[in-house]
Amino acid sequence: MTGFFERFRKTKVTPQPASAGGREGILVFSHTSEVIAAEACLKDAGFDVRVMGPPPALHTGCDLVIAFPLILQLEVTQALRNRRIVPLQVVPVDNVLLEPVSLFQTVDYGAYRMVRAANMKLTIRKSDRTIVNVSGGGCPDVPYLAEQLIGRKMSEDIEPKRYGKTLCGYALQLAWEEMNRQCPG
Amino acid sequence: MEKEVDARGLSCPQPVLMTFEAIQQVKKGTITILVDNETSTENVMRAAQSKGWTILAVDKAPNGVNTIRIENK
Repeated sequence: MTGFFERFRKTKVTPQPASAGGREGILVFSHTSEVIAAEACLKDAGFDVRVMGPPPALHTGCDLVIAFPLILQLEVTQALRNRRIVPLQVVPVDNVLLEPVSLFQTVDYGAYRMVRAANMKLTIRKSDRTIVNVSGGGCPDVPYLAEQLIGRKMSEDIEPKRYGKTLCGYALQLAWEEMNRQCPG
Repeated sequence: MEKEVDARGLSCPQPVLMTFEAIQQVKKGTITILVDNETSTENVMRAAQSKGWTILAVDKAPNGVNTIRIENK
């Protein structure tokens, strides 16, 4: 009987870092909106995945890919299928030209630090983690995001995802998370 | 005191950070900032206002160079 009920029990995935020793795979999607949905789905399910730039040897898909531990390929694709998200390709990273590239670029300006994620740049004053500049993008909400965030401190409850719903808002959120990782409060 | 910041050819956040540096040096007076794109223009204006400075004028030349004059009395 126990076995019967086990079938209905929600399986808890033990998080495994996407880059921790084992082989990686990347999920390729047609549109960035699918990447955003897939990332949310997989993180909700407990998978440790990372959004990255596509490797140079990959000529299909959009400007973002998701890196995941290849050993979990079946579970990952099943979790996506449950939400009706279908990747264009699942690619094992088996040579250097298929390694996904970092989305982040950091520039240190002395008293200030800038983190760029894809097309968005976030700059803070390091001494008190005040946001001094938000730029980049090309989405209509960038001036609004800048208005909301500039002059505020990273420690405040002002994550960009609260304000921006576009791809630029998403990229800015990634920059925000990376800045928090680099300059924790 | 007057100062000029030439941030032409630079992309954000550099024009903004150069403006902050000039603001710190000048404290009271006028600063003229030269930039060559709209994003930098907006970001420099926003940065200056966040420091309590007033935008006196923004001149947009046909060659794409925008001249922003800011003041703090």
